[in-house]
Amino acid sequence: MKKTLIAATIGLSFSIVQGMALAAPPADWSKVGATEITLFYPGISPMEWITGSLRIDRVRHGGSRAFGQGDTCADCHADETAEMGEKIVTGEKLEPNPVPGKPGAIPVTIQAAHDGENLYMKFSWKQPGAANSPKMDDKNPMKIAFMLDGGKVAMADQSGCWASCHADSRTMPDGSDDKTKYVKDGSLAGGVFYDLVQWRSGENKAFNGYVADKRVQNEGGGIVAEGKLDGDTWTVTFQRKLAGGEGDVSLESGKTYNFGIAVHDDHTAGRFHHVSLGYTLGIDTKGDLTAMKF
Amino acid sequence: MATNPPRVGTRLCSALHRSSAKCTVLTLLVIGFFSGVLFWGGFNTVMEWTNTEKFCISCHEMYDNVYKEYQHTIHYNNRTGVRAVCSDCHVPQAWGPKMIRKIQASREVWGKITGTINTSEKFEAKRLTLARREWKRMLANDSLECRNCHSFESMDKEKQATRASRQHQNAVEEGMTCIQCHQGIAHELPKDMEDDDFLN
Repeated sequence: MKKTLIAATIGLSFSIVQGMALAAPPADWSKVGATEITLFYPGISPMEWITGSLRIDRVRHGGSRAFGQGDTCADCHADETAEMGEKIVTGEKLEPNPVPGKPGAIPVTIQAAHDGENLYMKFSWKQPGAANSPKMDDKNPMKIAFMLDGGKVAMADQSGCWASCHADSRTMPDGSDDKTKYVKDGSLAGGVFYDLVQWRSGENKAFNGYVADKRVQNEGGGIVAEGKLDGDTWTVTFQRKLAGGEGDVSLESGKTYNFGIAVHDDHTAGRFHHVSLGYTLGIDTKGDLTAMKF
Repeated sequence: MATNPPRVGTRLCSALHRSSAKCTVLTLLVIGFFSGVLFWGGFNTVMEWTNTEKFCISCHEMYDNVYKEYQHTIHYNNRTGVRAVCSDCHVPQAWGPKMIRKIQASREVWGKITGTINTSEKFEAKRLTLARREWKRMLANDSLECRNCHSFESMDKEKQATRASRQHQNAVEEGMTCIQCHQGIAHELPKDMEDDDFLN
């Protein structure tokens, strides 16, 4: 009886500890296909500008016509994200207050896989040089997040996360401090939201959340993440249940989901991140990123 | 009674109407022909001289404003060194429309004399009006001056960047004209453009 009790206690302790760490990610990540996506600095480019209603630097977005006809951002811009980032970060376009030394682009390598129950996503990228940005987030020198859409957020299929970016959100020139990212006609109950997952380096914590009529973030919330800086390379691995819970986009085999990434380097917050264009994540099916069962 | 000698004007008029005593008709024709050639050549030489970049920028209004802006653009400085100067875009090539434009340009001479845009403040105040005139002209002639050099059919899609290639294909499909997207191609866009001024 006593032995059983001891064994049970030990077993229970192990399972509690294991709950904090990733449960069974791929044993050999090198067997999982990798995709490189270049994140770029977007400056001030809210959805209102993308669609052509707002003018910035005297002009309208030259691609607003094509966007209105259904083109995705990547259709035109996929192979020039690094150049776009350079133009914006130097203040040539779309950035009234450029920060000297801030990189224009950050290439990120992504791998995704699932075991039928959990989705695992691994991101790695090189730490860019320090730019001396004003410290907006004291606690976290680096943050990484991704957003998923199940097809209900308007224009997420064309623009990835961009449908959450608006001219009146905080840190935008005409923004209000109390307005977070939001989605037009966003509603958690109606399924019109982005699923938002983030890891913060300083706090070393994972956050689960969503962006509906406003952004909500909860510590943990079913996300397990491990991140580290090895020399000059960051590696962050996320784990979440495919099915997800409230505020999560449920992921099913055979389907693709709209997807975007953001990295907040150098203690930045708000719009001062580097972001990806809109891409697709396929579960057991081809997307820009594919998560196959391992 | 002695009559007064005829005045110079009358004498000249008579001389011009009088049959020639010294030259044959053929001689007169030949002299006339070559004089005509010289005159025509001279006229066109002067006309072409008013089409040169040097002539245009001899007015400080042009040099200080639109020329300085144009110097930062691809039509001034590019990989192959092929340039488009002022007249390439702003003066029609065909003789008839060119003459019409040159007659219209007398308004610019008047503007120079009266100093309508002779300071940068005055120029900026008038920039939108001037730009609108050019956009209207180019819309009406289907960006003819652009198409004197550039042709959709001759664009090598493989050599263009993805974004450019897609935009041009779209433009062809929708029957658009160059100036609709390329409004600021050589000079800065006016700050006070209204929604209707955007042609795309």
